[in-house]
Amino acid sequence: MGRLSLMFDLERCIGCKSCEAACKQEHGLGPGEYRNRVVWLPDGEAPGLDFLTVACQHCERPACLRACPVNPKAISKDPENGVVAINEGQCTGCGECVTACPYGAMGYDPRGHHAVKCDLCSDRRSEGLSPACASVCPGSAITFGERVDHIERAESEGRMIRDHDSFLLGPATIYLDRMYRREGAVPLPERKQPAVVDPPEAQLAFEQSGAAFPYGLPRPERKPDRVEPGSCTLCFNTCSVKFHFSGDKLVKITGNEEDPILQGRVCPKSQHTLQMYHNDRRLTQPLKRVGARGEGKFEPIGWEQALDEIAAKLEPLRQNEPEALGIFAGTRTGMITIRGYIRLFGQMWGTPNLETTDPFCAAGKNITYQMTQGANGCGNSYTEEDIGSAGMYLYIGDNQAETRPVYFGMVNNWRVKNGTKMVVVDPRYSATASKADRWHGIRPGTDMALGLAMSQHIFAQQLHDQRYCENWVEGWEKWRDFLDNQGYTPDWAAGITDIAAGDIKRLAEEVAEADGCVIFCSRGINQHTNSAQTNRVFMFLAAITGNWGRRGGAYMNMSFAPTLFANAPEHRQVKPRKSKIRKSPAGWTEAMRKAKPYGLKALIAGNNPMAQWPNQDVTREAFKKLELLVHIDLFQNETSAYADYVLPAAPAIEAGDIGRANDDRRIVWVDRLIDPPGDAKPDAWIWTELGKRFGFDDVMKDEYKDTAKFWDAEMIKHETLRGMTQRRLHANPWRWVRFPVASEDAEEQETLFLEGTTADGAAQEGFRFATSNGKLQFWSEKLEQNFQTMGLSALPIFYSEREQLIDLPYVQSIAGDDDEGVLTPFYPNTLGVPGRIVMPNDETPGSRLRAEGYDMELVTGRPPAPHFHSWTHYFWQSQEMWPDLYAQIHPERANALSLEDGERIQIETAHGSIEARAWITPGIRKSAVFVPIGWGEKQPYHPWRSVNFMTDKNQRDPISEQTNLKTLLCRVAKA
Amino acid sequence: MLPVMHRPDLNNRRLTWLVCGTVLAIALYFLLLPGMSEAWRTPGSPELYLMGVSGAVLLLTAASFSIAKRGKSASSPVAWFAAHVNLACLGSLCIAIHSVGYMRRPPALLILALIGLAALGVWARIYGAKRMAATMGTKRPGFASPDTDLQARIRNVIDRKTTLLSEFDADAAEALFSPNLSHWLWHPFKTFSYIRLAREEETLIGTRRSVSRVQAYWRGLHLFLAGLFVIGLFIHVITVTFFAGYVADGGEIYWWHLMK
Repeated sequence: MGRLSLMFDLERCIGCKSCEAACKQEHGLGPGEYRNRVVWLPDGEAPGLDFLTVACQHCERPACLRACPVNPKAISKDPENGVVAINEGQCTGCGECVTACPYGAMGYDPRGHHAVKCDLCSDRRSEGLSPACASVCPGSAITFGERVDHIERAESEGRMIRDHDSFLLGPATIYLDRMYRREGAVPLPERKQPAVVDPPEAQLAFEQSGAAFPYGLPRPERKPDRVEPGSCTLCFNTCSVKFHFSGDKLVKITGNEEDPILQGRVCPKSQHTLQMYHNDRRLTQPLKRVGARGEGKFEPIGWEQALDEIAAKLEPLRQNEPEALGIFAGTRTGMITIRGYIRLFGQMWGTPNLETTDPFCAAGKNITYQMTQGANGCGNSYTEEDIGSAGMYLYIGDNQAETRPVYFGMVNNWRVKNGTKMVVVDPRYSATASKADRWHGIRPGTDMALGLAMSQHIFAQQLHDQRYCENWVEGWEKWRDFLDNQGYTPDWAAGITDIAAGDIKRLAEEVAEADGCVIFCSRGINQHTNSAQTNRVFMFLAAITGNWGRRGGAYMNMSFAPTLFANAPEHRQVKPRKSKIRKSPAGWTEAMRKAKPYGLKALIAGNNPMAQWPNQDVTREAFKKLELLVHIDLFQNETSAYADYVLPAAPAIEAGDIGRANDDRRIVWVDRLIDPPGDAKPDAWIWTELGKRFGFDDVMKDEYKDTAKFWDAEMIKHETLRGMTQRRLHANPWRWVRFPVASEDAEEQETLFLEGTTADGAAQEGFRFATSNGKLQFWSEKLEQNFQTMGLSALPIFYSEREQLIDLPYVQSIAGDDDEGVLTPFYPNTLGVPGRIVMPNDETPGSRLRAEGYDMELVTGRPPAPHFHSWTHYFWQSQEMWPDLYAQIHPERANALSLEDGERIQIETAHGSIEARAWITPGIRKSAVFVPIGWGEKQPYHPWRSVNFMTDKNQRDPISEQTNLKTLLCRVAKA
Repeated sequence: MLPVMHRPDLNNRRLTWLVCGTVLAIALYFLLLPGMSEAWRTPGSPELYLMGVSGAVLLLTAASFSIAKRGKSASSPVAWFAAHVNLACLGSLCIAIHSVGYMRRPPALLILALIGLAALGVWARIYGAKRMAATMGTKRPGFASPDTDLQARIRNVIDRKTTLLSEFDADAAEALFSPNLSHWLWHPFKTFSYIRLAREEETLIGTRRSVSRVQAYWRGLHLFLAGLFVIGLFIHVITVTFFAGYVADGGEIYWWHLMK
């Protein structure tokens, strides 16, 4: 056997730290203990970001081995395969090897007092498996094998191997260098990791708690004897995973290598969910508030008492004002609960006020996909033949490398393999941007201007796909003429977007000329008051270039929500007496505070509004006015503190569920595999039992507590899901089926809306799209009428946000949330507030705030891959990787404020303020500050106030009700 | 695949209890000292002489951990380490009692060395361990592009090491070799020369510079203080035995075994 080694590809590594998570799971390593570590190395002087995975180099002359003073040595080198391994039983923990390794690749167990190191997973190798890190890597950046084979492969692909044998130690590990690095970039060894990335001081938080089961246990006690397939239910990547059990104990979560698409790739947080299933902080019994709201004082009670008391308090509302009950669900609650149990409960109760996190995340794209193509998402797939075959990837406001790292890993892999062009438009030089050919640091909130100008240029240069437009687009000529008439040229957009006119033209030409371009957009354009119109502008851009309904070309705004709905029989549905207060729960606060437009007196929350809802000061004031707040969750959090009753929930494999809606139209089934901790119950059980107390059990049957039975009986009645039965979902070892599937034997479709096909739900045979005439809808009389109802026009006129550093038109609501508003044509039986586009002047909010010293743009967004909303803040390893709330700020601004990297700073908007640690990076616009979501002040390890203390609930899109969470004027100071 | 071995590790809690227990026992002794009989207040009394001898034996045994782990005979260096700490604590208690708090005489230097040894040991185990853990992934120079001049100098050292090694352990490979106890016993000068070359290579690589000073040198200092202690102990034994008059400095020689 030749010399074994790992090969790390710096071009493919996306810094997600999945390899660290896999390593700690495989070897039972606790906090602070590493066999590998991903180091973030931003270029300190200009935008640039590399990720260096440090692991044992398995040297020919191992310095660690020679430094070991024990005889016989605690470190040995296999003469056949060259693997350097440690015998932990022989190590006295002197640390000489740690000092001796010039690569910093020796780990140390600070509790067990011995060195630890990578041995290329000797146990896995003995079973014929590859090392754990290589098996999970989302980016396919880690490969394992014989060193000579790695070299041969690198040479055949024309890749450059970094020479890092400075000290003649003969490292076996291979690093493939970046294919392109900016001239004058700071060399990797001279770069510094930001102070907020896994700092050693963060370890203090784990000193008391240590690592939860099964980390830290000897290998035999963690050895699985049974494996069950399923899915991670955290994020929109919806990775298929395998749950490994030892007896009835869950001991490991890995990717599912049998999955033909994901092939075992999985991100760190999916693996960290092991720390959710074994977590001392889980809620295990119902609690009843005994202190003041917000104080967090509770007494434990039984389920019977909890549900009886809740029902008794709700019954008068049901009799007199059923609309006064609001139900808010979302991320944590799970798709079956939201679309099934809660929907049935709501229908039989008679309240219109049911909502999810959609208006905070994706309502803008959902409503516009619906109005443009008649279906709710992108029809393309993450396959080599579809997205993998694109000629160009354009990311606008989508940091996919951190929000859906596995999908991005695949896209990046195709980019490297096929030499595909990638351009990223984002105020931040994100992990996604670090892989792109170009990054444009756009002014936040002005993406619409970019899209308008690109479209105008494409038409002006006759670069549009004439045949496609004529055959498949309704109203494209109107759009073309409109762009010209409005003067939406690249020169016009340059001053607005901060992107040079030449760059806009070049980008437009590249999109038009590429043999397939996938335009990825996400929260960066959704979370704005121009959400719907910006989405439409980029949809139109994709359409006029023919990038819609083809392989390798798409408008991809995650994710494609399936048409999953349970419906109560008509005679059991109670027609709401009143219209829904607002689409966005952020608009419900006045109903709670002032009973306007009518009173909302009780709320059942399935996740954490006290961190999620914008304008937390107002939200908390509103929640204090509620007569009843019931909170269903896994952990006590900020919302629990305000609740009258806290009900302990059970997720995923404790309940039986599906994964989240995702980019790839995959529905992944998760069996119930373990019992919840203590007296926690699945949401299905909770809603069924609560429903029983109101006599809903003829529909919400007791047997439906079994989600699998409920699924087949109630959830898949829509024609696109009839084939998605339990039998079909269980027919393969990866447990997913891509919809639509009209019958159990219907074939899955890789790419929807291809020419010559009929769309599911189409008005007639031969209609390629599910619209009234089978064409993509840019403009129609009906659309115009609907848009005008809400104060806008069907052909998008440019506007941005009210809080900008320059004067730009913005949308102003013509009424407040305490007004009745109008019935919006975009959502059934829902009140909305029309807006009007206004030009700023000295009296408008932006000008006033600038005069008051608010001189920076606050952008909020998702933190790196190991985190997802507030869940992961209860997982020790996610917290170890990214412990503190941070604020990215440009060095020029930091210097002006005399800020040090890692220093505690205060960020203040006109709506509130928070503190965070400074992350000084040139990878952000000079005028911007980025603060991630997810942190909360009640979290166990590193509590920080939510970023939503700084956001404004009143800045909402008249069409989709999306809140602007991406462009707010702020000022920064030392804390 | 390496066997899964049980490590009889001395965890931080036990270590803290042990050290605190030792310190408390010493404090208690000094608290009760004024009320004790003359024999327990005279270092040369039979009781305290035996206490001194016991302490010396215990501490020398503890110090022999350093030799044991370098010899091939230690089946469990980790157990030896635990014994090293336990014996050192007990030995320190004996020596403290033996000293009766005479801190203005030269033997007090031995007490200071013991305090230094204990402090370094406790730091390394409780705090140094965290620093060692945090070292992973923090050394960037290893990933720098090679400096050919530096490589030539390292190559030169490696060649000299290889040549020297062939003179005292022909079967050994330089790539995997570091001297052990038998090399010191049978080839002390060549081993010393080899160690010097290894240090030269370390300096070229920047091994000690790659971590904080305290992390780089705590162990060297610990060994140095241990060496001082052992030498001081022998000097103490020799002087009180063979140069008692000098030690008494014109006063009474009251240590019982000489008085007999």
